Amino acid sequence: MATTSTQYDQLQRQASNLSPADRLPLDSPYEISNELYDALRKVLHDVGGQPDTPVPFTEKGEEDWEMNTYLTCECLGWRGVWNSEERRRRENDLGATQYFGLPYYARWITVAAKALVDRGLITTDELGQKIDEVRTRLERKRS
Amino acid sequence: MKTMTPRFQVGDRVTVRDATTMFHTRTQGFTRGQTGTVVEHRPAWIVPEDEAFGIMENGRYTPFYVVRFKQTDLWPDYTGFEVDTLETECSEMWLEPAGKGKK
Repeated sequence: MATTSTQYDQLQRQASNLSPADRLPLDSPYEISNELYDALRKVLHDVGGQPDTPVPFTEKGEEDWEMNTYLTCECLGWRGVWNSEERRRRENDLGATQYFGLPYYARWITVAAKALVDRGLITTDELGQKIDEVRTRLERKRS
Repeated sequence: MKTMTPRFQVGDRVTVRDATTMFHTRTQGFTRGQTGTVVEHRPAWIVPEDEAFGIMENGRYTPFYVVRFKQTDLWPDYTGFEVDTLETECSEMWLEPAGKGKK
């Protein structure tokens, strides 16, 4: 996807809209405290004891892409490419904004792609080309 | 599945180490430094912190334990019953005999 400076501004605004209005801006500071380093290193999925508000319970069936993602990830495990612990670690490594910003299975498929790239099983340009191919096919189907 | 001789027996009092972790762990923050009782042995498996980086069959194995904590120990403002407990799984490297480490 081509990113013009206007689009970049929009993307940045979308991401910053997700952050609290009153916050300590971090812009690669020269020094941070050990306490802040501990906090920044926190494993994101370790939420036990963290204060939170009630979440409404909704019945949501799995969509095709979600089940396909699940099966793809399981098959990658079956064929010895990775394991579920590595998947969880990679999800945490996305960082808070993407971890909490992406739908559950979008997190899975994002880190699965990164694992395949890391292991040299696919290249980012092959992946990009495939995404473009699928996008074109779907757009043609819709029009 | 590998058979390993576990260091702790069912009934032993153990304290979860409050150690620095780099990059990833499965040991929940709320159990760190807390003391509980071993209630079950679980099959030995890869050290989770190694497994998280893609180490599989050839990696270091460790015994796992189910440890039972009193809820009133874990949460200072717990409002439930005194007898309430919480069980979670810990790998051996995270446990030490109760009373050994700094609490």
